[in-house]
Amino acid sequence: MFNLSLLRQFTRLSIVPTISPTVISRNVSATASLQFKITDQLWAEPMKKKKKIDPAIVKAREERRRKKLEKQIRRLEKNARQLKPIDEMEVPLELLDNFNKRKRPQPKLSAEVIEARALLQKEWTRYKRAEYMANVAQIDRIMAAQRRALEKLYEESEDLYNEAIMPDMSLIPYEIRGTVATPPIKNYESPDGEYIDISKKWDN
Amino acid sequence: MMFKKLIRAELNFNRIFARGLGTKLSWDIVTGVCIERLPVVTPPLSEIQNKYKDLLYTLEVEKSMKSQHEIRHESDKVQAELLKNESVDVDLDAVSKITAQDFEDASNEEFNKFKFADIETDADKKGDKTSTERCLQKHLVMVTPIKLGSDLKTLLPQGLWKEGETLRQTAERVVQEQCGPELKVQFVSNAPCGFYKYKYPSEVNGKVGAKVFFYYANYKSGAPKTKSNWLTRNELKDILPDKYNKSVNEFLIEETY
Repeated sequence: MFNLSLLRQFTRLSIVPTISPTVISRNVSATASLQFKITDQLWAEPMKKKKKIDPAIVKAREERRRKKLEKQIRRLEKNARQLKPIDEMEVPLELLDNFNKRKRPQPKLSAEVIEARALLQKEWTRYKRAEYMANVAQIDRIMAAQRRALEKLYEESEDLYNEAIMPDMSLIPYEIRGTVATPPIKNYESPDGEYIDISKKWDN
Repeated sequence: MMFKKLIRAELNFNRIFARGLGTKLSWDIVTGVCIERLPVVTPPLSEIQNKYKDLLYTLEVEKSMKSQHEIRHESDKVQAELLKNESVDVDLDAVSKITAQDFEDASNEEFNKFKFADIETDADKKGDKTSTERCLQKHLVMVTPIKLGSDLKTLLPQGLWKEGETLRQTAERVVQEQCGPELKVQFVSNAPCGFYKYKYPSEVNGKVGAKVFFYYANYKSGAPKTKSNWLTRNELKDILPDKYNKSVNEFLIEETY
């Protein structure tokens, strides 16, 4: 296989159409080999005559296309600016009108009350900190218990361990209903009827 | 590269070594299931929580604007004053309407008529420990009588691991077999959350004892078919063997209340 690329370059220049080198090497036939070849087809046909169109019509067509595009763009832009309204963010005009009327007279707080409030705030902060520390310690303890269990499982059987550390996909999505303030009443029928959500849907 | 390989080899060796020690004595693998009913009702507030809550409420009122109801109440007062003075231009239609005070009274009456469900349920009153409808403010863990050798003990439901299943499947099977298909629970992990081991008094089938791997599940609905109790943390302490209770408490959430 010596320099095939070079060979190809020469064949391109020659009048004789390209003969792949592999064919040459395998040119074994029972009859005498043919010494004349057919030239490559060019797949061409005579050029068509160009139709002459009135330049005014061409211009009109172009114009129409541009207008159509512009219209589409304008429509898109208009829709993009339209956002879902947040009702609760919009203050009703009625409230804005008598804003001053609704102001509550501020109570005069005595020094003791202010002091007591500040102390309570500090005490609360300490309480929350202690609570947080207890929570972290608790999570630590629970995780340590699990780690220990997994280690013991590994000692027992590696296969079981590998199964145990697989993620549980059935948990996603996970839904849990939290604790409530008062216990639910069994078979309670709301006197106000069923709750039906009639808020407007805003997805496109 | 070489170093990494060395370390890995060393690790593997250690693991094999550790396992080798374990297999010298052969143990039964047992899966225990800790089914917990989460609290239904929020626990009562502590003293400081109550104090802080009151403070937040007063602050909120101080910083708020007057509500529609308050405005209405004030205008009612003005109207009443005008009526008393027999002012000429009193709009009678406006006066004869229901005042804000009336509305408030009616609402209060309706509220007082409403009876909230009692936090202390029937099961609490009867001292029935087999119901999940008890101690609504606390975590409850299910325990069942389990036959261990010749004696019956009250433990978390447990069962032997069978060849060919994962521990999680064992846990699910144990719940099915011992509590019936009615009881619906939600397992929260494929991994065990706790561990406990005990020795048999004498060797059984060449096994010296059992290693218990605990799985944690949340109660969803239904009732177990067998007689089983739902116990709070303190009751667990009384009924479970000391060491067993300790391993169980290792992975349970501590209750402050």
